[in-house]
Amino acid sequence: MSNTRKIGLKYCGGCSPRYDRVDMVKRIKEELGGTIEFVSPDEPGTDFILAVMGCDTACANLDPFEGKLIRIITSEKDTEKLIKELKGEN
Amino acid sequence: MPLMNAQQYEESLRKLNLKVYMFGKRVENVVDDPIIRPSMNAVAATYEFAHYPEYEDLLTTTSHITGKKINRFCHIHQSTEDLVKKTKMGRLMGSLTGCCFQRCVGMDAMNALSMTTYDIDQKYGTQYNKRFLKYLEYVQENDLTCDGAMTDPKGDRSKAPHQQADPDMFMRVVEERPDGIVVRGAKCHQTGAVNSHEIIIMPTISMREEDKDYAISFALPSDAEGITYIMGRQSCDTRKLEKGTMDRGNQIYGGHEALVVFDDVFVPWERVFMYKEWDFAGQLVEQFASYHRQSYACKAGVGDVLIGATQIIAEYNGANKASHVKDKIIEMNHLNETLFCGSVACAAEGHKEPSGTYLVNTLLANVCKQNVTRFPYEIARLAQDIAGGLMVTLPSEEDFRSPEVGKWVEKYYKANADVPTEYRMRMLRLIENITLGTAAVGYLTESMHGAGSPQAQRIMIARQVNMNAKKKVAKKLSGIPEDE
Repeated sequence: MSNTRKIGLKYCGGCSPRYDRVDMVKRIKEELGGTIEFVSPDEPGTDFILAVMGCDTACANLDPFEGKLIRIITSEKDTEKLIKELKGEN
Repeated sequence: MPLMNAQQYEESLRKLNLKVYMFGKRVENVVDDPIIRPSMNAVAATYEFAHYPEYEDLLTTTSHITGKKINRFCHIHQSTEDLVKKTKMGRLMGSLTGCCFQRCVGMDAMNALSMTTYDIDQKYGTQYNKRFLKYLEYVQENDLTCDGAMTDPKGDRSKAPHQQADPDMFMRVVEERPDGIVVRGAKCHQTGAVNSHEIIIMPTISMREEDKDYAISFALPSDAEGITYIMGRQSCDTRKLEKGTMDRGNQIYGGHEALVVFDDVFVPWERVFMYKEWDFAGQLVEQFASYHRQSYACKAGVGDVLIGATQIIAEYNGANKASHVKDKIIEMNHLNETLFCGSVACAAEGHKEPSGTYLVNTLLANVCKQNVTRFPYEIARLAQDIAGGLMVTLPSEEDFRSPEVGKWVEKYYKANADVPTEYRMRMLRLIENITLGTAAVGYLTESMHGAGSPQAQRIMIARQVNMNAKKKVAKKLSGIPEDE
């Protein structure tokens, strides 16, 4: 049985992001190695939905994921915090 | 196919049989023509990026008529959130392409028609809205690009359509048949016309009863019999025919406009959305114009590219640490974000019309567009200021590649030692492209005149502000009786 955590990845549309959202997701992948797998947010059986928002407005539509655990990041700082949490360092 | 990708879009265009003329000759292969191709790439980007996870939240949505996932450019706004996302989509696409991506005008035409057809039906008991919704479903199901065509040639500006010496200066009906109508006229400045599957015609001004033959709205396939496209020239357009690509500036994308002539074209009744209801011509014009004035959030996206290019050339020139250069770039950003503010504001302050469609705040949409008629010019001026005169005196790519003189171009146009001369030349060409080359059509003159020239917005602003309320409070605070 795989220990890989499935994370549903949902981006905002990126009209004027304050940081590089795609680069940050790459960084999470690199830091967490094979322990996580990003999948479509619509896929069943995800551990949680990671909503990557380009700014604090956080305008991505999360209605389709109602009832699921959603983790929102809006900055590079949020990303670093998430990486630590997923590594169990917090 | 509710969501095409770029390749499918391109294939769909190849099936069209458009009658396109450029430089006096018929264009046999429109899709692959080197002058037109970059503009096709820009529309194709609206299809391709809809499939990217990092953009799909703006570029896709759910159809209110079928419940299916569709491209937002085919959507009828169902909330103020939809309107705000439309603004953001415009900025996003401008920032990804650095030019006009041409697809907003059809979206704006369809949204305006969703309201006007409903309102005509309420007054006259007609069936336009039902027809329109059937047409909309066809557009959404096939993920079509529509050219929203409003601007007539207009002839003598002091005369109404029926008073013109040449009656074809405004699109008009010339024959009524049991199965439809025959129309004649032309539409000018049609952005993205030859990249479109459909053309949606609207009247260009408010009309009186004498002009009722001109009060028509309809949609046709872009290759319908009798439609001819004559491509507009753009500054530096033939650089796209040259051997190298560096002097184009933008290596991938572009825009285009065309004069579209309707030479006695048949329109079946099921494609007619307004027929002689002259008293609704003005409403359709105003609602379309308001949406389209909001759409100019795209210029903030193009501004993002220009600001980025300006920062880079400052660095390549070794001037980026100068305080006045830093300050000018701050000013560029300030102006650019102010453009975005206006579009976001008119969207956030939108409201629901009787048809159910959400319309922008029309006062703020006009304020937004009025800013767009000015700020890109100032942003462009600052970009040219920072770039330096080399932007317009730079030798060609062929000189740069020349075995005889290339070494001198390389030597004497080197600035920052860490930056290849070619990179410096490329960035200067991009700034040139946006501020006075092919893309300046969209970034500057279209900002001035597209969606209505500056005076059109000033008239709307004057009409919509509540001047009495302003006077009343001024009198109260200064101690003057209200009735004085």
